[in-house]
Amino acid sequence: MIYADNAATTKMSELAFAKMLPFFQEQYGNASSQYSLGVKAKRAVEHSRRQVAEAIGAQLSEITFTSGGSEANSWVLRGVTDSFKGESIHIITTQIEHHSVLNACHTIESMGVEVTYLPVGNDGVIDIKKLIAAIKSNTKLVSVMLANNEIGTIQPVAEIGAFLHERGIWLHTDAVQAVGHIPVNVADLCVDLLSASAHKFNGAKGTGFLYMRSGISLPNLVFGGEQEHGYRAGTENVAGIVGAGFALEESVKDMPETADRLQTMIRETVTNVQERIPTARVNGNSELRLPGTVNLGFDGVSGEALMNLLDLKGICVSTSSACNSGKSEPSHVLLALGLNEEQAQSAIRISYGRFNTANEAKAVATAICEAYDKIKGSQAEHTSSNLCYHT
Amino acid sequence: MGKPTKCYLCETTLSKNEIGLNKKMQGKNATRFYCINCLANYLEVTVEDLHVKIEEFKLQGCTLFD
Repeated sequence: MIYADNAATTKMSELAFAKMLPFFQEQYGNASSQYSLGVKAKRAVEHSRRQVAEAIGAQLSEITFTSGGSEANSWVLRGVTDSFKGESIHIITTQIEHHSVLNACHTIESMGVEVTYLPVGNDGVIDIKKLIAAIKSNTKLVSVMLANNEIGTIQPVAEIGAFLHERGIWLHTDAVQAVGHIPVNVADLCVDLLSASAHKFNGAKGTGFLYMRSGISLPNLVFGGEQEHGYRAGTENVAGIVGAGFALEESVKDMPETADRLQTMIRETVTNVQERIPTARVNGNSELRLPGTVNLGFDGVSGEALMNLLDLKGICVSTSSACNSGKSEPSHVLLALGLNEEQAQSAIRISYGRFNTANEAKAVATAICEAYDKIKGSQAEHTSSNLCYHT
Repeated sequence: MGKPTKCYLCETTLSKNEIGLNKKMQGKNATRFYCINCLANYLEVTVEDLHVKIEEFKLQGCTLFD
């Protein structure tokens, strides 16, 4: 199998996995318990908090562990709404956010919050001038993702942060796809809130964190005990938190080498595919992108069919369209780039991770071309000229 | 023009699952539909592979299959 869908989830780091194991059967104490077994668990959680904080340039008290990125995103949107209860407030986000942000925005809209959904250019990058123009006197929060999960485009968050910081408007960034893959420093980015998820950087599923700048306090999303500085109730997922710390530390240490390697693999994949299928296009900005992620469009060929044929050959890629009845919904991200529905449904996302090899990238490109040929070959209007040109 | 109801190669009448499989594997622009045996041959996989995929699609809630 070739796993080329690391934007969906990643294989666990061997180091992180090994560090997690004792906390299931040997050191299984509750981190809130006051005897030694519990204190050891508490110490492990705090060690992980230090690893995470150092990885993004934060203070220990600014990191709150959550169940993942979606919880962190939901907490920010609901928390800001609750913080200003009774006031008429305005929030700005973008049309290409993850559904955990967009659906939270739809929910708070029903609670009376005004939300502006900024468009993006056809390269998937927002125009800061439009963001500035959208700011109102009652704008309390701007939420812009650092890197997009479908096309990998990186937004100018630092530039936005510098502008907002002077005006006292909070900036949240969903950095789920970025943390562990590109340099992320909360001071450089000028962000007040940042969400991340461990399973995107070779940690375990079920753990994430919210960075909340010192001085900011959001009402709880989860109620109960006083865990996580009183911000997030519930017995800590000690093993998951331990895995997150070690996985992130390792990802950051290896980042320069990994990023260079993945960027080369993506470039070669795109080149190999476009040599044989000249009409294949990269969706989103070609440069301002995560090193290991690319979204490719193939006119006249279903992205879902491509994904399914690749799956039959043991290759995992994804398509943004969700289908469960033969009628798939096109990706909101690709539509926001200005693609029409058919174009949006003809895309696949390839996302390499640290465990992928250059040979796998070559095999992926070859398999894509072969699958494309098979699909085109079943279309009556096909001619030999629109089949892949095998070099 | 409606979707084919017979295999493009052997002209066997296609079952609902075979029609669904062709749609999932070849997309909506496909005009040549195959029975499961001919489709497996065309795609260079086994018939068993395709049966596994049918079960996976059903598990995902796809209504194209029995």
